[in-house]
Amino acid sequence: MQNNIDNKKVLLQNLVESSAEWTNGIGPLSEIVISSRIRLARNIESIPFPARASEVDLKYIYNLTKQVMEKSPFFKDLRLVWLDELSPLERQFLVEKHLISIYHAREKHPYRGCIFNQKETISIMINEEDHFRIQYLLSGLQLTKIWESINQIDDEIGKKVTYAFSEKKEGYLTSCPTNVGTGMRASVMLHLPGLIKFNRLNDILEAISKIGYVVRGFYGEGTEVMGNLLQISNQITLGLSEEEIIDNLEKITQQIVAQEQKVRRELLSKFKNQLEDQVWRAYGTLSNARIISSAETMELLSKLRFGVELGIISHPDLGAINQIMLLAQPAYLQLLAGKDLSPFGRDIQRARLIRDKISN
Amino acid sequence: MLCQFCKKKEATVTITQIANGEKTELCLCHDCAGIFGDKLSIISFPQFNLENVLSGLLKAMDIHSREKGAVPIPEIKCSNCGLTYNDFTQTGKLGCSICYHDFSEQLTPLLRRLHGKSEHIGKVPPQKKEKLDKVNKIKQLKKELEEAVIKEDYEKAAKIRDEILKLEGVLKEKNAK
Repeated sequence: MQNNIDNKKVLLQNLVESSAEWTNGIGPLSEIVISSRIRLARNIESIPFPARASEVDLKYIYNLTKQVMEKSPFFKDLRLVWLDELSPLERQFLVEKHLISIYHAREKHPYRGCIFNQKETISIMINEEDHFRIQYLLSGLQLTKIWESINQIDDEIGKKVTYAFSEKKEGYLTSCPTNVGTGMRASVMLHLPGLIKFNRLNDILEAISKIGYVVRGFYGEGTEVMGNLLQISNQITLGLSEEEIIDNLEKITQQIVAQEQKVRRELLSKFKNQLEDQVWRAYGTLSNARIISSAETMELLSKLRFGVELGIISHPDLGAINQIMLLAQPAYLQLLAGKDLSPFGRDIQRARLIRDKISN
Repeated sequence: MLCQFCKKKEATVTITQIANGEKTELCLCHDCAGIFGDKLSIISFPQFNLENVLSGLLKAMDIHSREKGAVPIPEIKCSNCGLTYNDFTQTGKLGCSICYHDFSEQLTPLLRRLHGKSEHIGKVPPQKKEKLDKVNKIKQLKKELEEAVIKEDYEKAAKIRDEILKLEGVLKEKNAK
């Protein structure tokens, strides 16, 4: 377990240079499903939830986490970083990496932490809204595999600490009653340019909301939909088993994927020339622009991604597109540049990075 | 109907854009739809989610209790963290795991409205599972003990009794923690 403050710089540098497993673009159905994710909300019995906890309580959770990590060989390859030791920019970078939530980055209380592995498949937020928020992330549609892995991690922690759990009633107890029960949020990130283009999405969204599933933006709850990317996740956490929640989401995803594929075939047969033109124009702009905003990047990357998914263009591949998408984000850009940049400076730096990535 | 853009060809595609609750419709021919399509990629979705439902429910309950006015509901307080039920209705967040027990009467109907159900049927934490397994094992051993006594197999009965005592000891120790 590397949790030394001295290691912080090395840790961040590694994160800047490495790419997460979920960005590799080769998982099942990755031509539409970018990634799958499950998170579990867990708390320690009787200790107030972080928003109401005293500094002593928060420190208790901090020490408990360290003990659990040190005792279990299961966690020996995980890295731990305390958010108090990071600058706002570095915390924002962790948000862009999908390792922590926006809430976790901005909250003021001390002893907030994040544990993650090198592949960035595991991330455990400490003292977020709940004492622990365990997350597992993989590329493509792999919810069942994720459940197997996260279940193990959860057991490993649950053997060493006493989780807040009500046996005969509400199950895992959480700060917000909307998470109680399984404490589980399962989600998939989808690229749906076809359905969005033909505005067929609203019907689907209405249907899924009726059975307790909801759409969220690129960075989760309350965030915007960018670049035709959206997340679908369960809302109901109580009264259904974990397997049922996952199974439903998997079936919903497969149906949406089938609809998207159908629309894509229709688009290809009717508007092949226009589509090719749009894809190559996006490629042209991305590989030549000297100044580019984050919003334009997301829009053009969506077109380029669409081109790859439809077989119009083969370079860059989906993995490279995912990486460009991440490193074009403001904090990532600045950490890569090694200095703070003005918005205009970022637009220049972003354009340069994208050109480099595409020409490689 | 003619395409609203080129005004030359027959319109065959209707594109509906919904942004911030404003709905606009465009009737286009196939060719123009292809050109227009990509400009319509920003859509805002109606954000129906449980958090909104929760705050709506809590507000409604608050208004309801105020309308009742004259007879104030006695303030309930969590015995562990001190959060009042009124605090909860303001923030929508509970203070600690004991709040669920102390506000149980109020929370059960709320959970039923939010999730459709109020009882968990999924995973049980390993520590609790271990305890449950031990409790069940003791029950089973007690039966075996009775049988052994009836059969006058006292050697076996003694062994079972020791095993039961050992398991009960472990459980007591766990409860004491």
